[in-house]
Amino acid sequence: MFLDVQNLSVKLGQFHLHDVNLSLEKNDYMVIIGPTGSGKSVLLETIAGFFTPDKGEVIMEGKKITNQSPENRGISIVYQDYVLFPHMNVFENIAYGLRKKIQKDSFISSKVEKMAKMLQIDHLLSRNPETLSGGEKQRVAIARSLVVEPNILLMDEPFAALDVNTHAYLTTLIKNVINKHQTTCIHVSHNFNDVYNLAEKVAVMKDGKILQQGTLHDVFSRPTHNFVADFVGVHNVFQGEIVGHDKSLLQIEIDPGIIIHSSDDFQHDSNDVMVAIRPENIIFSNEKFVSSVRNQLKGVVKDIFEVGHTVWIEVQVGDVTFRGVLTPNSCESLGIKREKEIYLSFKSLNVNLMECRDAYHSI
Amino acid sequence: MRSKLEIIFISISFIFTAFLFIIIGTLFIMPSTEGFLSAIFSNELLASIKLTLSTSVLAAFCVILVAVPTAYSLSRYSFPLKSLIKSILDLPMAFPEIVLGIALLMILGDRFLGSWLESLGIDIVFTTTGIIIAQFFVALPYAVRILYSTFNYVNPRYEFVSRSLGYGEFETFRKITLPLAKGGIFASSVVTLARCIGTFAAVLLVGGGTYLKTETLPIAIYYNLSLGNIDTAITAAIILVLISFGAIFVMEKYAHENMEGVN
Ligand SMILES: Nc1ncnc2c1ncn2[C@@H]1O[C@H](COP(=O)(O)OP(=O)(O)O)[C@@H](O)[C@H]1O
Ligand SMILES: [Mg+2]
Repeated sequence: MFLDVQNLSVKLGQFHLHDVNLSLEKNDYMVIIGPTGSGKSVLLETIAGFFTPDKGEVIMEGKKITNQSPENRGISIVYQDYVLFPHMNVFENIAYGLRKKIQKDSFISSKVEKMAKMLQIDHLLSRNPETLSGGEKQRVAIARSLVVEPNILLMDEPFAALDVNTHAYLTTLIKNVINKHQTTCIHVSHNFNDVYNLAEKVAVMKDGKILQQGTLHDVFSRPTHNFVADFVGVHNVFQGEIVGHDKSLLQIEIDPGIIIHSSDDFQHDSNDVMVAIRPENIIFSNEKFVSSVRNQLKGVVKDIFEVGHTVWIEVQVGDVTFRGVLTPNSCESLGIKREKEIYLSFKSLNVNLMECRDAYHSI
Repeated sequence: MRSKLEIIFISISFIFTAFLFIIIGTLFIMPSTEGFLSAIFSNELLASIKLTLSTSVLAAFCVILVAVPTAYSLSRYSFPLKSLIKSILDLPMAFPEIVLGIALLMILGDRFLGSWLESLGIDIVFTTTGIIIAQFFVALPYAVRILYSTFNYVNPRYEFVSRSLGYGEFETFRKITLPLAKGGIFASSVVTLARCIGTFAAVLLVGGGTYLKTETLPIAIYYNLSLGNIDTAITAAIILVLISFGAIFVMEKYAHENMEGVN
């Protein structure tokens, strides 16, 4: 493991970070989500070394860094409110970390300019931070953190203060830059778009604890806590291929011979897509029925498990597993049990499409 | 149309500001020109101005040197007896300066510390050193107060970012914290200087107010008034007013420019 956080506990006044365990491989991109006040910022700042844990270890590349000062960890941090140094211009902000290690001005300039170009802020280098827009400020902050080539980049709700368009633009930009630099990232967010677009791993945090972590697929389709299910909204997420149109509907093949319809007006460059269907939008029935519902599939119940007051079932259709949720009553009246054949129906309206990313290929 | 409340409140602020202005302004028309000039170039006032400015600058400098780390620790760290320290630092602002003066006199005088200092050949009571010490303790709480709120307004995340980019605590303090706090440091320096210059009772008790030796401007006003040298007393007062105006002017002019970045 590249970064291992083991049983990390921190007490700050009334707040208590409990036994947090995280592990990241090199180049992982982890998104931590959770409600306000759940301790996401405290966790990041403890990993960076600003708070001393009462218990637990932070281990990077096999070396304990729990008691190392922040300046020796090589962990950069980016905040929601940018915290650009107001007494320095954009160039000096970006150059700040380099100046500590490098004397040669020409070398610093070339590194700063290269990074600025990559983040499309090279025209702003002589400006003062307070004259910049939010999106520009955040790009400067990210440039300042990345130019020192950190082992880990921590980002605490970096896009939360930005408008939707800037958010989308920055997401794409950051993704490219991070990929190019092969940086290991932990990104705190409460926006699910960040999870879909950036995350390779997801952790859900509440009241100072990590409730669940894993791949996007694990956490979103098989939550282990009621809270996680409520918070993320469980999804059926599949990889698929657009194979045709039926008027305004897209036809997507999710498994050889299994085609579903979506009315999502999805703009796509490639035919590879991710398909997401919320379990509560799937209707189960023992017979096929005629209705306006466009998607009707036949499957076999593979698993039944209770989460709180609801029953989750897993239904296999071809090689694909769908998850759905029922009340214990409907489960009983349908006579659902393992290996039973059952029909699934869902509206094309409820089939959401997302951009397909490499991260899913490994799932 | 202005409302009645508006008119009444604005009038009150006008009337009493006008009174204050007239009261201070009267000082300037009281002495005759020759009286003013001969007073200001008298040995007594020249010595007094020199003494007041030199002791105050030195005292204010020491105050800032001590107040910066004090205020910073009160703002950033938690440690035992922190709230007690805060209350003790606030005390001198609430009780009269003369009480601080007599306490200093007792401690530095013959009773305790004094005899020990004397055996080391250090004279404090009734010397310029005494003046500086009195000014220091009178002004320190004000500086700590201003700097405390300044540091509270400097977001610690600036320091975190600097640390994460490879700078140690001391370098971060020098390169980030101090520049971000410079508006507050400047304001507190000006207030401290003004407070040191204006200190009267404590300086009189500890410094002794010896003619031409430890007689600061406020003491000069008091002595000359009691001796009937009205022109000299008023001239000393005018100098103090001018210094204060200067201080306020400088502060107004620069404080705003330097407060940016503190958020
Ligand atoms: N320095 C601190 N001292 C005491 N309590 C703190 C400190 N920093 C954060 N907290 C508390 O810890 C809790 C978690 O805060 P935070 O990590 O900022 O939550 P999140 O980032 O998930 O919204 C909050 O209740 C907050 O008040
Ligand atoms: Mg936070």
